[in-house]
Amino acid sequence: MKRYRLIAILIFVMCAGFGSTGAMFAQEDHSADTSKVERKNRAPVSKDLLKVTLPKATEATLSNGLTVLIMENRRLPLISIQYNISGAGPIFEPANTPGLAGITAQMLREGTKTKSSVQIAEQIDQLGASIAAAAGFGSAVTAINASGLSDSFEQWFALTNDLLLNPTFPVDELNRLKQRMKAQLRQQRANPNFLSTETFSKAVYGSHPASVVAATNESIDSITPDMLAKWHDERYAPQNAILGITSDVKAADIVPKLEKWLAAWKKTDLKEVLPPNPKPAVAKRVLLVDRPDSVQTTVTLGNIAIDRRDPDYIALSVMNHILGGGPAARLFLNLREEKGYTYGVYSSFTALKYPGPWRAGGDVRTEVTAGAMTEFYKEFQRIRDEKVPASELEEAKRAIVASFALSLERPTELLGYAITRKIYGFPADYWDTYPTKIMAITADDVQRVARKYINPDNLQIVAVGDVSKIRPVMEKYGPVEIYNAEGKKIGN
Amino acid sequence: MRTKHIVWMLSLLLLVSSAMAQSVKFTEHKLKNGLRVILSEDNSPQTYSISVVYNAGSRDEHAGRTGFAHLFEHMMFQGSENVGKGEHFVLIENNGGGMNGSTNSDRTEYHETLPANQIDLGLYLEADRMRSLVINQANLDNQRETVKEERRQRYDNQPYGQTFDTLFETAYDSFPYKHSTIGSMDDLNAASVKDVSEFFKTYYAPNNAVLTLVGDFKSSEVLAKIEKYFANIPAQVPPPSPDMTEPKQTAERRKTVEDPLAQIPRIDMAWKIPQGNTPDWYALYVLGEILSTGQSSRFYQTLVREKQVALQEGAGPFERRGPSLFIVDLMVAPGKDLKEVEKLVYDELDRVKDQLVTDSELQKIKMEVKRGKVEQLEGTLYRAQALGENAIFYNDPNVINTGNDRLLSVTKEQIQKVARTYLTDTNRTVLITMPKPRTGGAQ
Repeated sequence: MKRYRLIAILIFVMCAGFGSTGAMFAQEDHSADTSKVERKNRAPVSKDLLKVTLPKATEATLSNGLTVLIMENRRLPLISIQYNISGAGPIFEPANTPGLAGITAQMLREGTKTKSSVQIAEQIDQLGASIAAAAGFGSAVTAINASGLSDSFEQWFALTNDLLLNPTFPVDELNRLKQRMKAQLRQQRANPNFLSTETFSKAVYGSHPASVVAATNESIDSITPDMLAKWHDERYAPQNAILGITSDVKAADIVPKLEKWLAAWKKTDLKEVLPPNPKPAVAKRVLLVDRPDSVQTTVTLGNIAIDRRDPDYIALSVMNHILGGGPAARLFLNLREEKGYTYGVYSSFTALKYPGPWRAGGDVRTEVTAGAMTEFYKEFQRIRDEKVPASELEEAKRAIVASFALSLERPTELLGYAITRKIYGFPADYWDTYPTKIMAITADDVQRVARKYINPDNLQIVAVGDVSKIRPVMEKYGPVEIYNAEGKKIGN
Repeated sequence: MRTKHIVWMLSLLLLVSSAMAQSVKFTEHKLKNGLRVILSEDNSPQTYSISVVYNAGSRDEHAGRTGFAHLFEHMMFQGSENVGKGEHFVLIENNGGGMNGSTNSDRTEYHETLPANQIDLGLYLEADRMRSLVINQANLDNQRETVKEERRQRYDNQPYGQTFDTLFETAYDSFPYKHSTIGSMDDLNAASVKDVSEFFKTYYAPNNAVLTLVGDFKSSEVLAKIEKYFANIPAQVPPPSPDMTEPKQTAERRKTVEDPLAQIPRIDMAWKIPQGNTPDWYALYVLGEILSTGQSSRFYQTLVREKQVALQEGAGPFERRGPSLFIVDLMVAPGKDLKEVEKLVYDELDRVKDQLVTDSELQKIKMEVKRGKVEQLEGTLYRAQALGENAIFYNDPNVINTGNDRLLSVTKEQIQKVARTYLTDTNRTVLITMPKPRTGGAQ
């Protein structure tokens, strides 16, 4: 029985609210040293670090070019699969039809050559399976995820493949989906995080297609079944896709069957051609989104940093962990635990085939927006100007490695690592040596990437809140542009 | 054989076993100070989870001190006699672990997941704060601010953030479930160090808690460690049980609230039903699944797909130790007549009352339960939490297994009966949340 499945119930559970695992360094005002957690060192700790052993995925390439990665896991009679179809993500959409990739993905469930929408829904639920397809904005990929019990694998996997290969995009179901999507567009404008993401993406990605984070009413209206079919025919190409499977069934038993099951999926000539990379903004800007009834300001600060293959990836991971990676990090300790400005404040970065942004942010109450901005800048300056103390660095690295080791026990995580390695063409031992690479990062490395990627002179700053109250604070940080909750510029 | 991964050993006290494949095996023990201990070995992951459930929730609060159980939960991360302020997190994070705490109306729960070689660490941290939490003005002031920010972020600054509190406040008559868990700003401001200390002494006693470990360990060894770390924490006089009686509702209750942050209307309905782990509750759970789980469900097919009056729909019983609610919530498509939408919901409920549900609908529940039984064995944390919670809620950790059996045994006739008994007009509370038109804006 699944407890807590009603939304009502989730809302009623209050959490201490630690977004990720973490240490906490209690900050005292009198010192600049960060390692001020009160350490009594009396709790018994085993010094052995968990050993990292990565089971290898079985790899195969089908005759249609599809890459297959199978991670065997015999523990439980469950199987989950993912089709990672590169070249079919929203960044390849024509500029006038944002949402085309996502609607195509959602419509896979709404009818095939042999099944209606209702029949598909009925079969999935009868099998106790889950099948979902999505193409997230900013992504190069359409992903189809399916899972269920091993004993009905062949049935639910056949159904998944029917959706993948034989969708018919019926017009009546499309019209229904359009109505829902348009209402959802309206609904999401109530959410401060959506408004923040929308404006921040525009600010950092500029003309790159990853700047788009939602469809529009116009694009939704303009999309026809033919457009979906064309997108599906052209973009769902096996040679650009990876099929990942975690399975309690032997890989050797599945691979031959895949050739048969996927025989109808033919290789094409489509090559993935990425749009020109986004470049970091050179001048600082402050973009305010007016939400007059806000009691908080949702602040995001950042700029374009690196892609996933960048040699700075590991150093940036460590730097980010120290600055804002969790409740152990400097931002959380300062703005939440010391100042009480916020329920949570974090930093993170996106690194895909093309460069994505590093960013920091959180929701702070309107009255302390000024104080919060001061502390953000103080922490940015500190990690740029001062070498991270040895103990803080060691703990951050140890935490990253330990949490990586623990994550290896989840079959889907293991598969995820294998897929990442494949997508970016990393060497076979990439993950085996990952802990060593993390542990090799020095205080100089951390300072170098902090200086390189956190630049107060070109930060793109987005604040969603009550503009009449926060404008005087925010205009100190750069030239101001003001947007309304519809995303339209309404002033400077 | 699937069960081979779950090794279980003879217990000192009580042995619970089940012949079912994929059941959760565990042993139960009790220390002299009243601490209830549940152990479930599973050596397939190299990790374990530890969960401590305290028999303290917002239902134990008094008027003028709402939000107290949750504020206290934050205090539990501020240090104890042998663990410095913040050291808890350093120790967990540096070992790759995870941790959190949560409070609801019926209990407060704390947990850690750690590598198997750090068994002592998890036990020590939980024992030390159960024995010797540091409570001072500075910590209280800081965490009070954090909780107020949590309230702003999750309630005051979100569309529909007030909806559930208003629904519960309207539906319930008795204080324990009528007030919100997050509490009012005034009450949070009024909490004193003395209040916090007294709450700790009364509710955070070993005889008011359940300690559960699930994962890779040997029960005999762990039990000795539990004795070592927890046995010297003194028992306290058990706290009083709140009066949970709820008068019978005799007429529909109805309320409309305006939400300046909402963009589209939302309808919430609640019917009073019995507590969790009762035959009627299980029948209502199955009914909720038939109405709203999966795209083949009745509400999705009718309200979302065919009639297109709702964008999202949900239905099901809230699980509580006391008088509970069956809730239906709908995000209404713009421009639809709310009265019409409500009527469509009642039509669907009438259909359940008039005609038995189908075999194929029950079959879906069977598959869902079958899958759920396997999935709950994936991680150790869920099992630790569920065992402990069932012990606190129902005095029976084995509900983690028997609950599934009871869901499978629900009949079509029972579903019809509970729909007729509980989902009536007079037993209903309806809350409409309407977007409030904006005035003004910035230049």
